[in-house]
Amino acid sequence: MIDPSVIRPEIALDDFLPIFLSSALAMLFGGFYVGIYTAVKVKMLKSWAMPIAYLFWFLTAYSLYIMGSLMHVGEFTAKALIVSMIGYLLLPHAVYHMQHQVHEENEH
Amino acid sequence: MASNTLNESKQLATWYFTFAFILFGAQLLFGLVAATQFVMPGFLFEILDFSVARTLHINALVVWMVFAMFGSVYWLLPDETGINTIGIKMGKLLYWIFVAAIAVVVLVYIFVQVGPADETTIWFIMEGREYIEAPRWADFGIVVVALGFVANLFLTGMKGKQTGIVTVLMADMIAFAGLYLAGMFFTDNISIDQYWWWWVIHLWVEATWEVFVGAIAAYGLITMIGAHRKVVEMWLWIEVAMLFGSGILGMGHHYFWIGTPEYWWEIGALFSALEPIPLVAMFVHVLYDWGKTQGAEEEAGNSASVINNKPAFTWFVLNAFGNFLGAGIWGFFHTLPQVNLYTHGTQFTSAHGHLAFFGAYATILIGMMYIAVQGKNNIKVLKNTKSSIWAVSMIAGGVMGMTVALTIAGYVQVLVSRAQMGATWAGYFDGQAGMWFAQGMDWRLVMGLVTFLGFLLLAKDLLTTGKNPVHER
Amino acid sequence: MANKSVWSDNRFWQRTATWVTGFAAVLLIWLTFDTSAQISMGTDEDLKQGVTKRVPGPTVINYKIEYLMDAKRGHEIPVIGGKNAEGRSAFQEKEKFFGRDDWTEEEAGALLHLGKLGSQAKNCMNCHTLLGNGAYYAPDLTKAWLDPAWGPEGSLQAMTGKNTKEEAMAEFLQHPSQYPTHERMMPDLGITADEAKGLVAFLKHMSSIDTNGFPRNFGKIQGAVHGK
Repeated sequence: MIDPSVIRPEIALDDFLPIFLSSALAMLFGGFYVGIYTAVKVKMLKSWAMPIAYLFWFLTAYSLYIMGSLMHVGEFTAKALIVSMIGYLLLPHAVYHMQHQVHEENEH
Repeated sequence: MASNTLNESKQLATWYFTFAFILFGAQLLFGLVAATQFVMPGFLFEILDFSVARTLHINALVVWMVFAMFGSVYWLLPDETGINTIGIKMGKLLYWIFVAAIAVVVLVYIFVQVGPADETTIWFIMEGREYIEAPRWADFGIVVVALGFVANLFLTGMKGKQTGIVTVLMADMIAFAGLYLAGMFFTDNISIDQYWWWWVIHLWVEATWEVFVGAIAAYGLITMIGAHRKVVEMWLWIEVAMLFGSGILGMGHHYFWIGTPEYWWEIGALFSALEPIPLVAMFVHVLYDWGKTQGAEEEAGNSASVINNKPAFTWFVLNAFGNFLGAGIWGFFHTLPQVNLYTHGTQFTSAHGHLAFFGAYATILIGMMYIAVQGKNNIKVLKNTKSSIWAVSMIAGGVMGMTVALTIAGYVQVLVSRAQMGATWAGYFDGQAGMWFAQGMDWRLVMGLVTFLGFLLLAKDLLTTGKNPVHER
Repeated sequence: MANKSVWSDNRFWQRTATWVTGFAAVLLIWLTFDTSAQISMGTDEDLKQGVTKRVPGPTVINYKIEYLMDAKRGHEIPVIGGKNAEGRSAFQEKEKFFGRDDWTEEEAGALLHLGKLGSQAKNCMNCHTLLGNGAYYAPDLTKAWLDPAWGPEGSLQAMTGKNTKEEAMAEFLQHPSQYPTHERMMPDLGITADEAKGLVAFLKHMSSIDTNGFPRNFGKIQGAVHGK
């Protein structure tokens, strides 16, 4: 039988662990990103922590990149992952902006 | 919470919480039986087999959560609507019908277990469909009880003050009850069977239950730390949009391999990737409101904590974090079809199930139980006690430990049973024989015991709160 | 207070939530119609005409079933009745099931009905996985019919002393604890001879369902490297 792996490459045995780790880390770093961002904004953390938040966003994107390439995701999924990363970068900004506005309108 | 006699709706809520708590204990006990059987296969063989123990384990789980959810709604309704719950007499009657039906179902599970391959078994013994095994007669009972509950909620919500939280709950609970109907028929076609089975399971736990949690978290933030209602309710609507927007079509990730067309790969992958986002948002929500409210108090020169119920708030924070960890992280890393091909139906799913059900639901419902204990005993500030701290640490640590152990076991299964041996009989047992797998199962049992001890401490703490003088009254 | 933004308006978000939910629900319902049509069970006529269905009719038990790699789709697919030039189902090659390969639509349907009922009445799903869903205490049954262990050379068939796959499986199902295959045994569930026959038909039918290549590499790799 012809080797079908040319068409849809299977995941190599050694790649399973890095895939699981990178996907878990992607989520974890993502959590740190929004967590630190929010904590700085509500002054639970000092403002020098903000670059750390963005560093975590970068790590999230990088982990997802590793995961996607090891999994041999298709073109569609790759695009979806890129879009979601950009969306994820903007999300806490948008959310904070809205929150802030509601507070301003209601309490001052 | 100033009234001296407990509102009738709240009284009914405490009944629901009490029975939920008993079932929670039963869930853990049968879980321990099943976990023991993984380690010692001869344990209770042909007396209480794994299939029976597991049926009870997962059914007790679903039912205690439903009970605690009903309880939570009966608890918050008078606070939210400002009126007494309408039809409370019927609510109480339905409660007893529900409890009696469950007792019968459980006894049949334990003593009859299986039946002949005909319709009578489906009607009176068990339907044999994971999570919704309850026999058909009980299905009808559940529908009647759920409709009664929804009627109470709707009548009260429409007559009293219909806050955002109540509106969300009304819409959510009717969907929750209605979806159960999708699981009430028999078909010879197993693909169709599982297609609709997921409508119940997925649209419950990844859509309607999550929205329910959002509503409860909103209520909790308002009552416990005095968060601003308008902010909280706006969040709630955003969460509803995100949860339903990703969750409804996230169903696709269950349709990769059950005979359904390949386009579900793309739909499942896309919407599953979005599913963690609302969970992150819910996490931020709690953090944000806590920081803001505490900050405002401190600006006013008041350094005391804004939290009036420490244990409940601890469980709510754990919920925000656990939802993200269990449903988000543990869900995401096996959700894409490329990798799910190998992880589907291994202990990975089990690891995810344990942490997600605990993180997303058990935590917040236990938090609601603390709020009820506080209200019932007229306590102004409920403080942490030694046993409340030990309980939360042991339960959370135990569940986390089980999850890690199961994840390692699942990893062995993926490598040995799936990637190499292709899910055959031999492949399955080769995977089970792996040293890491066996040790994973040992540790799961140990961590299950830790969880159970934590549960006992939790019971002690909840039961002694009323008499404990440390709380401010 | 003057510049009240739409973004901080609860009504706006309430409407957004309603529209998003409604849109997702409508999309799901629409997809459900499409999927339901695609996974409806085929008929005997389909099999005779060579029409490939994702879920074939019950008379598929009269045919030989294989699970082969499909180059175009990039994963394994069920191949019914031998393969044609394209490597897809040819619906030609028959295979005797309990001594017959002429089960009528009614007979096969009744057998499958009994088997599906049996799979639920005996609570199979709380130890095994079916199509990958269920419990993880016992092997996945999705392609159990095709498991080499039950084949002519297989250890499980030899153990029961039967000469065909279906008889071996039926014998095991009736007296599982007489054939300890592993320290972890299947309990005796009171399965009768008829029920066992139905269950085996159910398993054979399930193996013919197109599961998009799940499970991968089923029974293909012999002597794999064990866990590290």
